[in-house]
Amino acid sequence: MTAFLDSILTGLALGAVYALVALGFVVIFKASGVLNFAHGSLLLFGGYLVAVLHDDLGFAGALAVSVLATAALAGALDRLLLQRGDPDPKAAHVQTIVTIGVDIVLLTDLSRRIGGDLLTLGDPWGDSVTRLGSVTVADSRLAAIAVSALAIGAVFALFRYTSWGLSLRAAAEDTEAAALMGVRLSRVRMLAWCLAGALAALAAVFLAAFPAPGLERTTGQIALKAFPAAILGGLTSPPGALAGSLLIGLTEALAAGYQSELHVLGEGFGDVAPYAVMVAVLLVRPTGLFGARGAARV
Amino acid sequence: MNRTHHRHRVPGTFLAAALAALLVAATGCSSKADGDSGSDSADGVKSGPGVTAKTIKLGALTDLTGPYATLGKSIVQAQQLWADETNAAGGICDRKVEIVVKDHGYDVQKAVTAYADLSPDVVALPQVIGSPVVAALLDDIERDHLLTFPQAWAASLLGKDSVQVMGTTYDVDMITAVDFLTRTKGLAKGDSIGHVYFEGDYGANALEGSTWAAEKAGLKIVPQKIKATDTDLTAQVSALSKAGVKAVLISAGPAQTASLVGVAASRGLKVPVVSSAPGYAPQLLKTPAAPALLGLLNVVSAAPAVSSDLPGVQKMVAAYGKKYPASPVDSGVLSGYNAAQLLGADLKKACAAGSLAREDVVKAHRGQKSVDTGLGSPQDFSDVPRPAALSTYVLKPDAKAVGGLVGVEDAHEAPGVTEYLAGRS
Repeated sequence: MTAFLDSILTGLALGAVYALVALGFVVIFKASGVLNFAHGSLLLFGGYLVAVLHDDLGFAGALAVSVLATAALAGALDRLLLQRGDPDPKAAHVQTIVTIGVDIVLLTDLSRRIGGDLLTLGDPWGDSVTRLGSVTVADSRLAAIAVSALAIGAVFALFRYTSWGLSLRAAAEDTEAAALMGVRLSRVRMLAWCLAGALAALAAVFLAAFPAPGLERTTGQIALKAFPAAILGGLTSPPGALAGSLLIGLTEALAAGYQSELHVLGEGFGDVAPYAVMVAVLLVRPTGLFGARGAARV
Repeated sequence: MNRTHHRHRVPGTFLAAALAALLVAATGCSSKADGDSGSDSADGVKSGPGVTAKTIKLGALTDLTGPYATLGKSIVQAQQLWADETNAAGGICDRKVEIVVKDHGYDVQKAVTAYADLSPDVVALPQVIGSPVVAALLDDIERDHLLTFPQAWAASLLGKDSVQVMGTTYDVDMITAVDFLTRTKGLAKGDSIGHVYFEGDYGANALEGSTWAAEKAGLKIVPQKIKATDTDLTAQVSALSKAGVKAVLISAGPAQTASLVGVAASRGLKVPVVSSAPGYAPQLLKTPAAPALLGLLNVVSAAPAVSSDLPGVQKMVAAYGKKYPASPVDSGVLSGYNAAQLLGADLKKACAAGSLAREDVVKAHRGQKSVDTGLGSPQDFSDVPRPAALSTYVLKPDAKAVGGLVGVEDAHEAPGVTEYLAGRS
């Protein structure tokens, strides 16, 4: 039972962090129709900034700077690079491919800077743990759950109660009509990218915190695990991204926690499990858990 | 093949002529591109690619910009130190030694290109970083008879005439680890040991050794396979503590070792952990897991700790510190320097036998039955499918020691290693 609860908590914490990343994918996709393949490097960029700045600015200061800088970088990427191309929304796939190029450039530079090092982020949780009955959880994990819940709640509130949120939803629904109604598409888009960047920087902190030893060159790749989460949720639905992320986190933790019982499925099944779940869900619901049904034109 | 290709594509007479001139120049540069028909130089020593009357060129395929940049830099500098020392002492075979370094950034494609570029002009490769790189080049290296010292210790690299794994392989190290646990940490028949390992040659080979040794000792291995991108081992630790393991083996990278030991300690799974050599780096002692690492971790390695009191090691560490005062001395320095020394011994032997052609360097190398460079266990290169040494060192982290490790047990052959190897071949 303890082991089960243990896996559940680990899974929830993982899912909460994935949700920060998956939400970024979804917000960007909703606003611009682009699948951002550079998300992992944006995340690494955010983490790297915290790592190099925390000595001088303290953890909170470094985190604030990093969140703002990553948001600015993501926004600039959209405004200065992607929006310069063909304005036709159908050209989104071209921009998607541009993000692959951006990813390579960013990742190459960051890898060069990080090299083989393990960078600590100076987070306040260190390796402390909390005992909840028979289960032990790392404080950084509890913080991840709490902070993710707050951040995700804030994003949902933004969607629902601000004019930007309304514009974004309108633009996602029908770009042309939204533009005609006076929605400033390019600004809505850029803000969406900024938001996604900020969330990625936040996620980086928790991906590098205690149970992990620190920020590595490969930390950004972990963000790719949020891909199935976003797709699972339907790619256009923020609640879907949240549900998908929790599902993926739990699947991964349970598959790793019960690896020996799942031995028949082959070792290292934990790595495949998120994708297996994704395929299974998509077989039943091709548009994802909360995905919009594609309009069929006759 | 490429040459004919080019000719097809180049139409003009002028270009064809220029190409022909280039080809002539190219063959001229590398003395004789085909190693079979080596030429005798003035001193009667037969030469081959990479060898002229004045120099012996060696090659290094390293990673100076990728994940193993720190390791690559250490090895490059250590081997350069060796080259400088050797040249100051008159060189080898009255020739100066020169090392040509190519960076592949841990990218297999770049490495293959770099090999094609480098291989015609060198006589041996004292450094190749990266198991996937070595795996991709194995056939080429064999074909070119280019004596190679890879920085990898998987048993799958044995059995190749031109490729030399230094010291013990991962499986042998793990047999030593299991023996160490039963001997000193009180593990008894029926106990379980967790083994967290990377997918791929490295992890698979280590698991092979641990499984064999555990079975022999009446223990049970609980395997946990992970990937290089897994840096949070919480789930693995939960599974291991559920299985009630009395000790954990890990064959992964430093990040994984830090996470495993840190998480285990924080959850009260205070069991001894033994890591394969690549699973440790001195930088780990700066992570939050440092206290747990100092208390629980041991490392099994083919090479002694850099802080060892072996005179050869101390001399090398002092010389390295003098030449590169800003660089840390880590295990890469030791293994790089050792590879260069071993190659130096081979070249001297080949010279004495009258030929520095590649095949003859390999032959000289395979004739070495007991080479002791003073940097660890003596090695026997004559039996191609067998590891060059069977003795493994047991080390432990120490924040004050050079290289972050100190010796616990001197190199020794664990019981069963010979039997294991006999069973495998």
